[in-house]
Amino acid sequence: MSNLFPKSANKLPLQILIFIGLTTGIVLAGVTYYATPKYTRVGYAPTQPVPFSHALHAGQLGMDCRYCHSNVEKSGHSNVPTAQTCMNCHNQIKTDSPLLAPVRESYASGNPVPWLRLHQAPDYVYFNHSVHVARGVSCVSCHGQINEMDVVHHAKPLSMGWCLECHRDPAKFVRDPKLVTNLDWKHPGGDAGQLEQGKKFVHDWNIQPPQSCSGCHR
Amino acid sequence: MKRKFDHSAPANSESLATGPRYWRSLDDLASNPAVQAQLEREFPEGADNLNGVDRRKFFKLMAASFALGGVGLAAGCRRPEAHILAYGKSVENIIPGLPLYYASAFPIRRNAIPVLAETHQGRPTKLEGNPTFTPYGGATNALVQASVLDLYDVDRATTHTIKGSAATAAQVNDVLALLGADAKASKGEGLVFLSETSGSPTRARLVTKLKATLPKAVWAEYEPVADEAPVAAAEAAFGRADLKPVYRFAKAKRILSLDADFFAAEAGALAYARDFAKGRKALTKDAELNRLYAIESTFTLTGSMADHRLRLASSHLLSFAAALAGRVTGLDVFSSLAQGLDFKDKDKWLAAAAADLLAHKGESVVIAGAHLPAEVHAIVYALNVALGAIGHTVDFVAVPAISASGITEVAKLLASGAVKTLVLLGGNPAYNAPADLGFAAAIAKAGQVIRLGYHVDETAAASPAGVFLAAAHYLESWGDARTADGTIVPIQPMILPLFAGVTELEVLARILGEDKPDGYSLVYETITSLPGVAGEKGFRQFLHDGLLADSAYPKVSANFSARGVSKLLAAVAAPAVVSEESLEVRFVFDSKVDDGRFANNGWLQECPEPITKIAWDNSILVSPRLAKKLGIEPGGSMIQVARKENASYSQGKDKAFIGELVVGGRKVRGPIHIQPGLSNWTVAVTLGYGRKVVGRVGHGVGFDGYALRGTDGLNIATGAKLTIVPGEFSLLANTQEHWSMEGRDIVREANLEEFRANPGFVTEMGMEAHAPATYGDMNPEEFAKLSREERAKITAERAGNTPRGGSLMETPDFSGPKAFLDGVHQWGMSIDLNTCIGCSACVIACQAENNIPIVGKDQVLRGREMHWIRLDRYYSDGKIEAGAFGGEGNAELPEDPQVSLQPVACMHCELAPCETVCPVNATVHDQEGINTMAYNRCIGTRYCANNCPYKVRRFNFFDYNQRQLDSLYMGPLGKQGMPELVKMVKNPDVTVRMRGVMEKCTYCVQRIQQAKIKQKVAAGASANVEIPDGSFKVACQQVCPVEAIEFGNVKDVNSRVSQAKAREQDYQLLGYLNIRPRTTFLGKLRNPNPEMPDYASQPLSRQEYEKKNHPAGMEHGGHEASHSEHGQSHAPADEAHGESKPHATLGKLFFGGNS
Repeated sequence: MSNLFPKSANKLPLQILIFIGLTTGIVLAGVTYYATPKYTRVGYAPTQPVPFSHALHAGQLGMDCRYCHSNVEKSGHSNVPTAQTCMNCHNQIKTDSPLLAPVRESYASGNPVPWLRLHQAPDYVYFNHSVHVARGVSCVSCHGQINEMDVVHHAKPLSMGWCLECHRDPAKFVRDPKLVTNLDWKHPGGDAGQLEQGKKFVHDWNIQPPQSCSGCHR
Repeated sequence: MKRKFDHSAPANSESLATGPRYWRSLDDLASNPAVQAQLEREFPEGADNLNGVDRRKFFKLMAASFALGGVGLAAGCRRPEAHILAYGKSVENIIPGLPLYYASAFPIRRNAIPVLAETHQGRPTKLEGNPTFTPYGGATNALVQASVLDLYDVDRATTHTIKGSAATAAQVNDVLALLGADAKASKGEGLVFLSETSGSPTRARLVTKLKATLPKAVWAEYEPVADEAPVAAAEAAFGRADLKPVYRFAKAKRILSLDADFFAAEAGALAYARDFAKGRKALTKDAELNRLYAIESTFTLTGSMADHRLRLASSHLLSFAAALAGRVTGLDVFSSLAQGLDFKDKDKWLAAAAADLLAHKGESVVIAGAHLPAEVHAIVYALNVALGAIGHTVDFVAVPAISASGITEVAKLLASGAVKTLVLLGGNPAYNAPADLGFAAAIAKAGQVIRLGYHVDETAAASPAGVFLAAAHYLESWGDARTADGTIVPIQPMILPLFAGVTELEVLARILGEDKPDGYSLVYETITSLPGVAGEKGFRQFLHDGLLADSAYPKVSANFSARGVSKLLAAVAAPAVVSEESLEVRFVFDSKVDDGRFANNGWLQECPEPITKIAWDNSILVSPRLAKKLGIEPGGSMIQVARKENASYSQGKDKAFIGELVVGGRKVRGPIHIQPGLSNWTVAVTLGYGRKVVGRVGHGVGFDGYALRGTDGLNIATGAKLTIVPGEFSLLANTQEHWSMEGRDIVREANLEEFRANPGFVTEMGMEAHAPATYGDMNPEEFAKLSREERAKITAERAGNTPRGGSLMETPDFSGPKAFLDGVHQWGMSIDLNTCIGCSACVIACQAENNIPIVGKDQVLRGREMHWIRLDRYYSDGKIEAGAFGGEGNAELPEDPQVSLQPVACMHCELAPCETVCPVNATVHDQEGINTMAYNRCIGTRYCANNCPYKVRRFNFFDYNQRQLDSLYMGPLGKQGMPELVKMVKNPDVTVRMRGVMEKCTYCVQRIQQAKIKQKVAAGASANVEIPDGSFKVACQQVCPVEAIEFGNVKDVNSRVSQAKAREQDYQLLGYLNIRPRTTFLGKLRNPNPEMPDYASQPLSRQEYEKKNHPAGMEHGGHEASHSEHGQSHAPADEAHGESKPHATLGKLFFGGNS
């Protein structure tokens, strides 16, 4: 019998244990790394070249989102305003604030302000702002309470599963398109009211958000 | 891949093929063992090999790549920081994310094709035809589609140089100003301009001015190929040199073409093809079809559409034209010219054709190829006068008189040493001038050479000490041009010159010392000085419309002068003898690289030539008979490309003999390709290849036909000799040998009479006609008997449903809420094979729209071309008396085949076989019936491609988008890097695919989604989300000059595509598979003349079909009778089928062979 297993087999249980331990560790590390909000960048809040405060402009001053993001209703890409748009007001207000120096410089030279991109869909995802806004999906649904953010942070995961939550059941989110830029609006009837109205909208407007690949991937 | 699959191919004695037997190549026809072996393989031999890298080394590289990837993973792969760079100052009209369209025009020779250029933030990516110009109706051709790639050509000239060293724009301007000042002092003595022809009104204005200010300067123009009728003919026939014929094929019922490829090679070909198709569309069964007679020496697309095609040497076409004119006019004067004409059934042919033309007086037209001598054109004009065509099917228009010297005069001046300064504006005369002029050497004799060129090419190399000006692309320049009918069109810049290039107009203006020598000012001045243009406003309107309304050349009523014609014809010599010893050489216009100007364009180089299907090469085309004489067609074995033994068949590809062609002491060597349908003793040589000084794409492609061409025979040369160079071979990348459909009922054809009697003929062909209904509860024949409205309605219902039919195969029921067929629209396509002319514009349009990479000749040789659309060209000769049914088999190479063309792309089957085999659900259906590809899911098993019956899936064997221009990308350790410039042509709305990913036609899903989004945005808070029919077009549909492709919502009974699909001749390709392709085809019709000696009561392919399926004395009449029986006794039992042997086998296959 003693010849059946070589002596090295004595180490085998230990080796198996180490192997299982390592594998589990790697899997665990992978899951924590990739499957957590951090990976989907929730909370990502980079320092922008100009400390622009949405809380001040959109919240306190009550400017409409579409004053700056002017093409959101026309284009798939919701534009970041040109320096010229900023200067419309800031040639009157805070004309020599040092914080606004990059904007003035950009306006004078034409070179862009290097804003850092927060919300970024992968290259193979063709997200379209105009259709969402036109069909009653509010900015707040994807971007969070921007009007309360001094420094914008990534509020929602923007992962495919998260997109599909709404595409599978849009009734929870759709509202009157006139209200999409009113980030504080909530259905007065609460969740039940929203659901009831949403269902009506989904039916009346023939809302069939694509759930197949071709809706977003081309 | 190396596995051999035994599909238990039927023995010869009991062939199961149900369709007409099309032979895809001569090898196929001959059942060459090498081809047989290849057909059994899934992919061509060597498909899994890589030049220079063996399997082992490849795996090593891959392993290293993965290891590197692991390192990257550990180091963290959080998404990198990205920036949003908004404009500093807002730019008018630009909305990031939305394209802008500008009207412009693609100039070529004296003509132009109006386009709308799609630009993304100032970057042109795609060209569409300008639909405002009605004669072209928004169509373009392959050259226009590919021209945008030339803008981003890495090998284009990027700097001006003086004596080889880089020069600034200011230095160059000084040189030009100095030249102008010197020339003015000497009135232009010793100054010679050589330019390409152009229709630009601004250039005409500047040239007139130049001639006035510098009277002693010489202005010469040269084009290596002709696309317009010679002036001398109009001068003789009408006494006016400024007349040009414009044909109105839409009005023509009978068309006779003498060597004229008016679908591709003639000026205004787009309008001609479009008009021809209008007379060819069989919308109802009572439709009148036009009839086309083609007499030609080579095989052109026009010839492939002909109802009667006669092979005749080009140098004998004068005799033919005279003989026909004699018949038509009944005059004796032509008889002496008609000497020496000889072909089979000559008198009968001529009599019948002449009678047919005369029977349609005023509705018939004769056209001669632009390359033919003026004498032929003069006779053709006489013919058209006699046929009453003038003013009806052909108009004469007055074109601005051109007075320019030719290249021969320039060569003489150069030789005499009288040229102080030679200004070469565009063109490439050192490459394409007649060889006997020795132009490359002559250039050096000029005192100073100033050359404007887009590439550093042969001409630039011939004058290294001169001044070289980098030219701007037409998408970077201001200019103007005229279409073939004379309409003035603008050329607008879409982008500032990428490399500070200048235009011909600017160079001329600087030499003339104009005050405002910039392109815009020059064009503005010309256009606003035209009558009817109201200053700035009028100019803006001109730019907006992309054309100047009512600016076409004026129609003139020309008075025919018989005396002028007879004077011209008096000098005609007897036609040269064309025989085996003294061959005729036809120098052919290339449909891809044109005269060589597009030689560095990868899209065009990789596009298979429409008839030969050879990519990346030209070849010496010889007729089967000549091949036999040359001994490159061994007895018993039919061959595609010259070779003696099967053993020399390499990689399943054309292994071509090298031939040496000698004309007038000049000789070239090139690969020989046997082309059925060629005139016996005519050898065709395609021009534009074999460039010596060219970029990386065009390097080493083909051989130079210009080296053979002398001033005495620019288009046709006689007295040539062709010999085989022993022991030398060359591989030709012929794409027609792959993905064989093995001769089933692929293209379904009928003659017009049969169609009238039985519009649903297509439903009586193929296996589905003999099987229980697979789609719905009706079989195709019964379905065809319904009215169009009913059919459209049922089709629309089926599109939103999953009818199982009588199929024995269980299909899952997908109906119900949220089912995959639940969409608002259901997309489908219809392709009319009756009007498809095979021009390949769709192939390139698809490539431009969908970011399809080029792969290079080596990869095409391995069957890895990436085109989403392939255009199949089938030959049939009707003589396939299958040995299986007691026929004699094929003993000879067919010399007069008929051609059937068929574009094939992904059919978007409702029950797609590719989807069921994908292990990762990377290819699935969406709600609107599109078979989608999720590239990110694809792991590259290629099971889908294996399971696709149409073979339309394409696999990225390499990262073709990472490759350098001249090598493959071998992974992270290999050479990599597509130049940034080339990346700029990519469509931002389509994913760029990487290695290991499958791809195929998506029905231009990006265009569909954009249209849907647009509609939904407009709908807002309303339910109006259905896209109106015709509000967008897919890329292939958009480009198609003959409107053969319809695309749209098949759920809508009234959409154009539904209407097309409701036509009786609609059929599914391989419909019996019950996979329900969303793309269907409309059967092809031919309209032969029963009086003609070569009349065939059925198309040749159909004859083959009938012989296969209804052999042994069952003539074509009998077939129909037997079919009506089938129709009645169909559903209940198969006894009727049991009577005839092939049907019994069919039944067995269908029911028994399914497991």
